[in-house]
Amino acid sequence: MDFHLNDDQSAIRDAMATLLTRHAGATRLRHLGGDDPTYDHDLERHLEGAGFLDIAEAGSANRLDAALVQEAISLALGTAATSSRLLIAPSLPEAIKGPVSVVAEGHRGPARFATDAVALIVIGQRDVRFVAPLPLSVERVVSRLGWPVGQLDDVPEGDVMIDVDPEEIRAWARIGLAIEMVGAMRFATDLTVGYVTDRKQFNRALGSFQALQHGLAECAVAVEGARWLSLEAAHYGTPQAAAAALTHAIQASKIVFGRTHQYCGAMGFTQEFDLHLATMRVVALRAEAEALGRPATALARQGWALHS
Amino acid sequence: MEFGWDNEHSGYRAELVTFLDKELPDHWHGETAILGSKANTEYSRRFAGLLAERGWLTPHWPSEFGGYDASPWTLAVLGEELWSRGEPRGAQYMNVNWIGPSIMANGTAEQQSRYLPPISAGNVIWCQGFSEPDAGTDLASLRTRAERDGDVYIVNGTKIWTSYGDVAEHCYLLVRTDSEAESHRGITVLLVDMPTAGLEISTIPGVVGDHSFNELIFTDVRVPVANRLGPENEGWTVVREALSYERVGSPRWARAAYLLDETIECATAEGRTIDAIAVEAIGVAKAACEAARILSYRVIDERAREVPPSPNGNIARVAMVQAERLVAEACLAIDVGNTLTYRSPSNYQLRKALAAGVAAGAYEVQLNLISRLHLGLPKG
Repeated sequence: MDFHLNDDQSAIRDAMATLLTRHAGATRLRHLGGDDPTYDHDLERHLEGAGFLDIAEAGSANRLDAALVQEAISLALGTAATSSRLLIAPSLPEAIKGPVSVVAEGHRGPARFATDAVALIVIGQRDVRFVAPLPLSVERVVSRLGWPVGQLDDVPEGDVMIDVDPEEIRAWARIGLAIEMVGAMRFATDLTVGYVTDRKQFNRALGSFQALQHGLAECAVAVEGARWLSLEAAHYGTPQAAAAALTHAIQASKIVFGRTHQYCGAMGFTQEFDLHLATMRVVALRAEAEALGRPATALARQGWALHS
Repeated sequence: MEFGWDNEHSGYRAELVTFLDKELPDHWHGETAILGSKANTEYSRRFAGLLAERGWLTPHWPSEFGGYDASPWTLAVLGEELWSRGEPRGAQYMNVNWIGPSIMANGTAEQQSRYLPPISAGNVIWCQGFSEPDAGTDLASLRTRAERDGDVYIVNGTKIWTSYGDVAEHCYLLVRTDSEAESHRGITVLLVDMPTAGLEISTIPGVVGDHSFNELIFTDVRVPVANRLGPENEGWTVVREALSYERVGSPRWARAAYLLDETIECATAEGRTIDAIAVEAIGVAKAACEAARILSYRVIDERAREVPPSPNGNIARVAMVQAERLVAEACLAIDVGNTLTYRSPSNYQLRKALAAGVAAGAYEVQLNLISRLHLGLPKG
């Protein structure tokens, strides 16, 4: 048990910071379209070139370093399908190159990255299917929740059945979503802390009022809890750890979304202010998370033989 | 960074679990498992002795004081396994977690040889004389006076909400020895033997369960100067050090998770249907317990590295309170019927959750510290 980065992890963090400063961040996201962005192929290419997207070896059960890389990308508001590549791909029999969309069996409707996806990973109750290439062009959907989204109406039935346990893939999908939510929630919380520290009303900093302090402290506790559960889940890779991390991330998102906007006041309503770039993404991630099967229910059922 | 348990600690856990499975079932039901109940306190003396025989009561203590120099992780495993069975050490977790270590760090050789062996043998109960009628959350404003008279202190004042005050053999008492000084200064720690002349103890029935509070009224109680722990007027530093890790010393999340299991077992054994809303609440509560666990581990990691205490302890404590409350909510959702029965696991959890945000430092004070020390928000 060790909560500190080792030398390799510190080196990765530093190299990631350099790359993300150049190729990600709020300014980059605005260049891509802000809350309705296009896919960031450029960022993906740079991450690929530097070897970050293959940081977890194929077949490796421990994807902690991959989760740390994803957290950094999400904190920098990166707009590429990296979490499936970093966290799910090592469980697949063959490498995937290029953007992938991950959906639940029977999914019909908008899906993140579907416009640019070279393949779909369809997670069912009994199996996992790999659909590639996509047979039709996918129409773009305007969601304004911070991600490129495409309308998936005709997911082909057959295609390739992957010889892998669907619960394993669902677990890694959940861990990926949890750590993505953590990165975005950290961005929103940090931004809000900065805002209420600078913003003065009643002749004092807003952040000096205890009501706001307590609200933000609870946000921090929630995000820290989700963060460490997600990193631990990436270490173990078990369905229980994955469901716990995502459940807690969703609970955290409920308070972070509401409170950061509340405390930033009308500034939080504006496109000019960066808050929405992170918070709206969190909402989209939560929707995607629930669509994979409610994690809280899954967690409860994993622990006990519950009948309802 | 990595999260696996090493062989030493997973082996220790396995051995401990085997021991607990064998030792507890025949003696550990109903009233005995209600922390603070008379039966629990009586049982805890016997049980702590059993742990002590195996070297498991104070494994983390230095060998010179009867311990085995085990890592803070060993203590964490011990606490987790015991709290996840309702804490059969009863009141004794306080002795072994912080009162003993505080005496090791600040006590004289005589105090150490007198007070530590009974703690590591498991046959003594201590209480903590901290809160007063006008000094609760603002503990440093305490007013119980101790005036020096030759080689004794004369103590006058009132302590309140003193858990185990009615059964303890000793009290770790905070007194004011300099009334002119600024509130955090002028406080001294005295180790008071109980009972003693001039000390009147009365029980205050509580609503959090069988666990009762006590009021300790000191009227000209004479405490030898030799029983002072650390320098005069430096008691705040002494107690702050002692309690710095205590925020995660009681893994309340483990007991909450245990009571959640018990509540589900009760409901399913009776054939009650657990509906979808309750199932969702169980998942949310279980995840909150897990978050409290991992955030506590982060503090234990700091302790193992011997780095100074950080606001991570406050963060873990807040997460623990939230977990207790969410488990209480889930228990209520699972089984309203049994909650109406006193001593049902859900009824017990409801009461424990009530105390969670007050005992061992108010929830709001933790939030104040997090906002200032972790988030860096400006002072009000």
